[in-house]
Amino acid sequence: MADLPNTPLLDELEKGPWPSFVKEIKMAAKRNPMGADLLGQLEQSYREKIGHWKHGGIVGVFGYGGGVIGRYSDLPEKYPNISHFHTMRINQPAGWFYTSEALRKICDIWEKRGSGLTNMHGSTGDIILLGTKTDELEPVFSDLQKIDFDIGGSGSDLRTPSCCCGMARCEWACYDTMALTYDLTMHYQDELHRPAFPYKFKFKMSGCPNDCVASIARSDMSIIGNWRDEIQIDQDAVGEYADKGMDIQSDVISNCPGKCMEWDGKELHIDNSYCVHCMHCINVMSKALRPGKDRGATILIGSKAPIIEGAFLSSVLFPFIKIESPYDKIKDTVDKIWDIWSEEGKNRERVGEFIQRVGLGNFLDAIEVEPVAEMVAHPRENPYVFYEEFYEEDDGEEEEEG
Amino acid sequence: MAKPVEEVADAMFNMVKDAQGMKKLKPMDLTKAMIEFFGDEVDKKLCKLAIRELIESGRCVYTYFGGSFIELPHREGAAND
Amino acid sequence: MVDVMKDRRTDFGPPHYERFLPPIIKENYGKWKYHEVLKPGVMVHVSETDAKLYTIRAASGRLISIDKIRMFCDLADKYCDGFFRFTSRHNVEFLLSKKDNVNPLIEDLKEMGHPIGGIGNSITSIVHTQGWVHCHSAATDASGVVKCVMDDLIEYFTEMKLPGKLRIALACCLNMCGAVHCSDIAILGIHRRPPKIDHSRLRKMCEIPNTVASCPTAAIRPATVDGNPSVEVIEENCMFCANCFTVCPSMPLNDPLNDGISIWVGGKVSNARHEPMFSKLAIPFIPNNPPRWPEVTTAIRNIVELWAKNARKYERLGEWIERIGWPRFFKMTGIEFQKEHIDDFKHAGLTYKRSTHLTF
Repeated sequence: MADLPNTPLLDELEKGPWPSFVKEIKMAAKRNPMGADLLGQLEQSYREKIGHWKHGGIVGVFGYGGGVIGRYSDLPEKYPNISHFHTMRINQPAGWFYTSEALRKICDIWEKRGSGLTNMHGSTGDIILLGTKTDELEPVFSDLQKIDFDIGGSGSDLRTPSCCCGMARCEWACYDTMALTYDLTMHYQDELHRPAFPYKFKFKMSGCPNDCVASIARSDMSIIGNWRDEIQIDQDAVGEYADKGMDIQSDVISNCPGKCMEWDGKELHIDNSYCVHCMHCINVMSKALRPGKDRGATILIGSKAPIIEGAFLSSVLFPFIKIESPYDKIKDTVDKIWDIWSEEGKNRERVGEFIQRVGLGNFLDAIEVEPVAEMVAHPRENPYVFYEEFYEEDDGEEEEEG
Repeated sequence: MAKPVEEVADAMFNMVKDAQGMKKLKPMDLTKAMIEFFGDEVDKKLCKLAIRELIESGRCVYTYFGGSFIELPHREGAAND
Repeated sequence: MVDVMKDRRTDFGPPHYERFLPPIIKENYGKWKYHEVLKPGVMVHVSETDAKLYTIRAASGRLISIDKIRMFCDLADKYCDGFFRFTSRHNVEFLLSKKDNVNPLIEDLKEMGHPIGGIGNSITSIVHTQGWVHCHSAATDASGVVKCVMDDLIEYFTEMKLPGKLRIALACCLNMCGAVHCSDIAILGIHRRPPKIDHSRLRKMCEIPNTVASCPTAAIRPATVDGNPSVEVIEENCMFCANCFTVCPSMPLNDPLNDGISIWVGGKVSNARHEPMFSKLAIPFIPNNPPRWPEVTTAIRNIVELWAKNARKYERLGEWIERIGWPRFFKMTGIEFQKEHIDDFKHAGLTYKRSTHLTF
């Protein structure tokens, strides 16, 4: 294999205690010349303080419109082995659980047909295979089919849904995040592989309001586990926390945003009707407190990063629904949202931006959801109400005739 | 009476061909145009099948330029040999 | 091409997750009762059946080679019957049912150069984007900056001595593939020079109406240049978001002299205590200074340490700033408050101070 290029700047990033990506590229470069050219080009970027990639928009696997990101070096003569350096997004198993056997097979494919570099994982949640040639895309997909891994989303399609580990390893999971993620992923395979939307659409499933997958900040539909009955209290275990030195008043009660807790030194009282389900008390006393038994999820809609109209957080669509297979209410709502947004959304307009443009009230009309007070932080402060109907003098008579 | 999928795909193909280089069309642009042209002989579902036919026959490809489009296969500006 | 198209399957989706769950998880799925953090990077989950599952969390660099994945596989085979997982923030996690394997596995991971930590009141791995390694619109590198910041803050990953959790994220341009906008500390690459239009290529590569429509501030309009249709940019209306470049590759904004890093603070996504919030601008611009970005690491350490020293228990960075007020934040950090800190996009007025609730 070719010698590695001279990279004095990048070599500085092999030093220090945090795992070094430069070491990773060098490992891959020992086997594949793509790695050596990547090092060379990256060293040049470090020297010049500018990137050297061009964005491709056509490459993909046959029949799919997403999952492959075209990338070309803008210095192909100098770095011929990364002239093409496309990314493939591979749909991860829900919760990012693996067996060594399955991952070794992916490694073998990527050793044979790509750079040997990956991201575990990309921001959307997919396994990212980083860097291959156009001619290898179809063979990689063919090899992946044999081990049951399909390609994920990109472009104006349903992006690969992702979730926290939920009931697999968390006592706070208020619904089965991995089951819902798998179900939605399978149900919407066509939307995931064949871009038909104005822009991307993301689902993220978090099992509780701690929201470990940042669903409220970066998914068009955020499905966040919640409960609507009483927090389960084990008073003896509360006492143990106090005995071990926890200051229940300042550590727990003072931090309660609902101001709905009291501690008399013996017993913890919660007025659950004022609990805002923030998780703080449960987080700090996980042995003593647990979410209630009537569990489900809050569904929120519309979050996104800044491009184009500014960053949004998701806002409440359904304050609480039960999450049970076959998830008809979610699917029915999603279908209606996609219908109206696909029809009337502008190119690159996310659902959140579409709602801002047409107004949440009109949007709710279109998807046939009744407005409820939980959907707003507060009612409107301006009097510019668009009433759609008004009475004429003779309206009453017509009614009598009818 | 529903139109045959192939006929809708052909009409879509002509639309993409005529627009190539001038306007990039999205699947919904094609769908809306077909519904306007064929009236109630087509619906969204049929158009979806027609788009799939268009892609899987190799006549058109999906492209991405800050949004996904349907175009005739062509060499893109960024591509290296 | 013929052979790969034979027996081709599509739309079969990811493998079902049950294939990858260790027996102890299958047996206790949905039955977990509580968990305890035993030491940095190690926690135990206890089930209603009294089963105990030990998790060891180790740092990983997001950009990893298949060699490294195979090494992780070897460790999983040796200590946990071949099962392991990754977290939403790129950490690798090993799930053990045998407590005796915890310390030997930790030793092996450290030997491989993967620190253990990131659980509890600590800084966990930085969520980040591709940067110069693989992105066309990057205003800075991603992996390199992350490496430098975490090298510097490593003690806060491997120990649990912070008041609360601190989440750092990096996006190398405003597209924010990493959606960093609700992080305790967001490192954001920014451009500061309007696009340089390549009129000869624009005609072939870009569609003019789409390019014009892409601009959030309507700074792009159609124009005729040398007799050919093209676009022009009203430069004083450009805020360098690069949305036009995403739609039209003939309008690059990348520029070594003007690209750099901005630092945003005080965001969170968890609902614990305070509602989720956006990060706010702390430092408008720091020039790129590869390979070690010393100005960035110093600035971040300064903010982290002030917060660590002054915040109340559990208080996230944004909650602390909200309590002490932004003027005091700027005073304490020594960051100069300037024009760029004041919002001037849509609904900017909502961010002005509209009361006399001030501290002196």
